Amino acid sequence: MEFDKNSTLKLAKLARLSLNDEQLNSLEKDLTSIVSFIDQLKEINTDKIDPTSNSLNQDLILREDIAENSLSNEDLLKNVPESELGFFVVPKVLE
Amino acid sequence: MLDNLTIEKTSKLLSEKQVSALEITNNYLKKIKDSNKLNCFITVSDEKAIDAAKQTDKRISNNEKIGLLDGVPLAYKDLFCTDGILTTASSKILSNFIPTYESTVTANCKNQGVVVLGKLNCDEFAMGSTNKTSFYGPVINPWKSIGNDEDLVPGGSSGGSAAAVAADLCVASLGTDTGGSIRQPASFTGLVGLKPTYGRVSRWGTVAFASSLDQAGPISKTVEDAAILLETISGHDNKDSTSSLKENELFYSNLNSSVKNLKIGVPKEYMSDDLPEEIQKFWNEGKKILTENGAELVEISLPSTNIALPAYYIIAPAEASSNLSRYDGVKYGLRVKEKSLIEMYESTRSEGFGDEVKRRIMIGTYVLSSGYYDAYYIKAQKIRSIIKNDFDNVFKNVDAIFTPATPNTAFPINREEVDPVQNYLNDIFTVPANLAGLPAISIPFGLDNSGLPIGMQLITNSFEEQTLLNISKNLQDTINFSNQPTQWWA
Repeated sequence: MEFDKNSTLKLAKLARLSLNDEQLNSLEKDLTSIVSFIDQLKEINTDKIDPTSNSLNQDLILREDIAENSLSNEDLLKNVPESELGFFVVPKVLE
Repeated sequence: MLDNLTIEKTSKLLSEKQVSALEITNNYLKKIKDSNKLNCFITVSDEKAIDAAKQTDKRISNNEKIGLLDGVPLAYKDLFCTDGILTTASSKILSNFIPTYESTVTANCKNQGVVVLGKLNCDEFAMGSTNKTSFYGPVINPWKSIGNDEDLVPGGSSGGSAAAVAADLCVASLGTDTGGSIRQPASFTGLVGLKPTYGRVSRWGTVAFASSLDQAGPISKTVEDAAILLETISGHDNKDSTSSLKENELFYSNLNSSVKNLKIGVPKEYMSDDLPEEIQKFWNEGKKILTENGAELVEISLPSTNIALPAYYIIAPAEASSNLSRYDGVKYGLRVKEKSLIEMYESTRSEGFGDEVKRRIMIGTYVLSSGYYDAYYIKAQKIRSIIKNDFDNVFKNVDAIFTPATPNTAFPINREEVDPVQNYLNDIFTVPANLAGLPAISIPFGLDNSGLPIGMQLITNSFEEQTLLNISKNLQDTINFSNQPTQWWA
C-alpha cells in the first residue's frame, strides 16, 4: 500500500487529526514503510487459527452494576476545560 | 551510608533507627535538585514526600512494626495516576491533568508507607524506545561511553524510571512495559527490570497504551528489590476486567537462588550474526554460569519469532488509537478553542499529541478501518495465538528461556533519525513476551568495550515469576555486577 496525500488525509480525518503539509508528507512516507513492514504477515496462513484477544487464560470479570460513591461531581469537574452548572461545556452542536 | 540504597538496605537502616526516613528523603530530594541535566523528573512531589517520611518516622518512634517499603523513597513513571499530583504521560495533551484518584498500583505502594519523590519522564504515552518522544524533552542516560562526552539515550519508554534509579535519584522506581519499555531501559542503564505476567498487576488508573499488552513493573538495583515491589503491586483488582484471580505470592520471602536441575532453553532463532559480539559474549557467559551452577541448557525453537514484531505493530497501534480517542478536549486535559465541536477535537488532538503518537494513531486507525479490520487486527491476533503456542510448546520441556534483552547498547541521542521501522527493531527480543503475556526480566551482566551496560533476559511461563526471580538471583549473585555510572551531572 502506497500512501498518497488523499489517503493520508482521509485517515487523518477518521483519526480526528488536522495535519499540515509537512506532517502529511512525512506521514505518507512513514505509513507506507510501516504498512509494508506489517504486510509481511499476509504470507502467513492463519485460516485454521483462532484469534487471541489477550493472553490471560480467564474469562473477563464482570461485577454487579451497583451505584456506589466513587468520584463526586466536583472531583469529576476538577480537570474540565470548561463547565457550567456542573456540566461539561462543548461548542454548540445544533444551531 | 545514604547513597546507593536498596529497598532492603533502607528498610534495615530505618528499623534499626540508624537514620530517619526524613534524612533519607531529604538526601534524595537534594540529589534530584542537582540532576536537572538528566531530565528524569517531570514533577518532584517534595512536600508530599516530606509528609510521608515524617509519618514513617512517627510510626518508628511509636515502635510500630513497619513493612519493608515503609519510608522508602520511590518514584513513578508519569503514566500512573496519582491523587493530587500532576500526571502527564509526557504529553502536552495531559500537561495540566491532576488526577483526583490513585492508580491501584501506586495505591498499593501508598498503603505500605512508600515515600513518593515524584513522577518520571517517559516516551509520550509510553510510545518509543529512546525517551525522545516526550513533550518534556529527552531523558539523558547517566552512563557515557568511555572517553566520549556524547549524551546517550536511556532507552524507553520508561527512560526516566531507569535513569533515575541508575543515577541514584530514588531507591527504585515503577515503569510500564508494553513491548519492552521496562526491560530495554533497564538493560541500557545496568539495572533489573521486571515485566510481570499479563493480568498479575492491575492496569486500573494507569494511562492506557495497548490494553492487551500493558503491564506495570519495577526497575530496581537488585533482584530482591524487584521481588519486594512485585509482591506489593500485584494482586486481583475488581476494577480491571483482565486482572487475574490468582492468589498473591510472597516472592521476596520465597526467593532462593538455586538453579539445580532447572532446564533453561536457548532459542536458536535469537542467534544472529547481526548481534554485537559483546552481547553474544555475555550471553555465552550466562549460559556457562547457568550450567556450572547446576542448570541444564537446552536448545529450543520459537519458529514464529520473526512475525512477532509486525503483529505487535498492528495490535499496539490499533489499541492505542482506540484508547487515545478519549483525548478530545471535553472532560480533561488540553482544549484548543474552536467554533465547532469537530474542529475543537481536531485542533486539540493535533496540538496535544506529538509526532510518534500521531503516527501510531494513524496506523491504528488504518488497521481498524472498515474493510481492513479482519486483514490486520484479527490477523495479528491469530499470529498472537501462533506465538503463544510456540511458547506453550517450549514450556512443556523447559523452566525458563534465556536470551539477550536488547540487540544493542545505549546509543547517542543525536543519532541520525532513522526510518520508524528501524527504530521498532529495538524491541525485537522483548516484544514476544508481551504478545504471549509472559513474565520476563532484564538483569545487568556487564559492560561492553565502551563501558556501557549489557542486560540479559529471562522469560518463564505465565505466573512463574518466582522461578524467574530465583534464576535471576542466581545469576546476580554469581556475576556480582556492581558498576555504576560516573557522576558527571551534579
